[in-house]
Amino acid sequence: MADPLVEVQRVWKRFGRQWVLRDLSLSVEPGEVVALLGPNGVGKTTLLRIIATLIRPQRGAVRLFGKPARALEAERGWIALVANPPAFYRHLSGEENLEQALALAGRPIARAQALEAMALVGLPEGRPVAAYSSGMRKRLALARTLLARPRLLLLDEPETALDSGGREELARVIGQMAGTGAVVLATHDHAFAAEVASRSFAMGDEA
Amino acid sequence: MRALVLALRDLRLEWRGRAGLLSAFSFIAVVLFIMGIAFGPDEASLRRAGPGVLWVALAFAGSMLASRAWALEVENETLDDLLLTPGSREWIYVGKLLFLWLLMIVMGAFLLVLVAAWFYLPLAAWPQLFVTLVLGGTGYTVIAAFYAGLTVRLRARDVLLYLLVFPMILPVVLAAVKATLGIAFGAEFAEIVSWWKLLGVFDVVYLTLCVLLFPGVIEG
Repeated sequence: MADPLVEVQRVWKRFGRQWVLRDLSLSVEPGEVVALLGPNGVGKTTLLRIIATLIRPQRGAVRLFGKPARALEAERGWIALVANPPAFYRHLSGEENLEQALALAGRPIARAQALEAMALVGLPEGRPVAAYSSGMRKRLALARTLLARPRLLLLDEPETALDSGGREELARVIGQMAGTGAVVLATHDHAFAAEVASRSFAMGDEA
Repeated sequence: MRALVLALRDLRLEWRGRAGLLSAFSFIAVVLFIMGIAFGPDEASLRRAGPGVLWVALAFAGSMLASRAWALEVENETLDDLLLTPGSREWIYVGKLLFLWLLMIVMGAFLLVLVAAWFYLPLAAWPQLFVTLVLGGTGYTVIAAFYAGLTVRLRARDVLLYLLVFPMILPVVLAAVKATLGIAFGAEFAEIVSWWKLLGVFDVVYLTLCVLLFPGVIEG
């Protein structure tokens, strides 16, 4: 059996004096879509950021792709974290943002590829991200994910601000990404989790 | 290569937003105006004060730009995406440094012309002035870009940046002022070169240390 893509082992994390995560363990196998469920403040986003190697837990260990998370270098390019709201450079257009993101990840793309990905998620070209609605930003994040093809996709409340077409597209992208890796998503929406996830992981009062 | 992509992207963002550049240039104009009034109209006083005014204005405006280099990531909430790029993270520092360095050199050249016009700095010696600007500007930006990255996640980053950077850049500013004074008053070329050598040593030592330390300090 293959190693788990993600192994979170007895992790504790606090901000100031407030413990957000206490002795939390989670394992994600290749091909899985795991939904982190729970109310606000239970540490869903914190857990995603720990898995993404962006913050360190006070105690416990995280292994990704079979290696300690702190030892990752080249493998960080296999991880994509889509924040809520997704982060983009406001003064750049959607296609410029896609080009820059891929170029900085060491996988430059042509303008045509960026435009093709944007067309696939129904976004117009040439408009600065500052003029995008929340839903359009989410769609641009989907386009970036499609182009980056990560092995581990981390999504923070990805369904919010999306219309029905956008949610369908999101569900399709999640399914596609799970085929080549794994997806961990944080959400409040039980119906959405039931629709896209192969497993739910309850946090806080829901645990 | 990725460092260059990052620097060019930041230049594009800065050009479209223009907030940092406009603030820095406005600040420089105000500093020169006030200093010009304070030291003038006596030519000898202005000539004597010119090199100090040049480097003080450049240092303060440079801190504004250093803060701006990282503020682009904070404003757009894109720092996490940058940290998730594969490979070691030195290139992020080098990219930000390159962006800041290019702005500093452009701003420094602009400042040289203004100080020459107002404080009687001899523009005829522009090659020597430019070498001093490049060596001093490099030392300054190496440190400012590092500390601006170190404090980028902090709420009081702008205040902390000045407190952290200025003690560290004192040797650079002093050596740069001495070299500029030497150029302004026609000192022996060997004396000016000795200050350049000192600046060069600072640049190499600080750059090496900052590149080595940066991946550790930028982690959350």
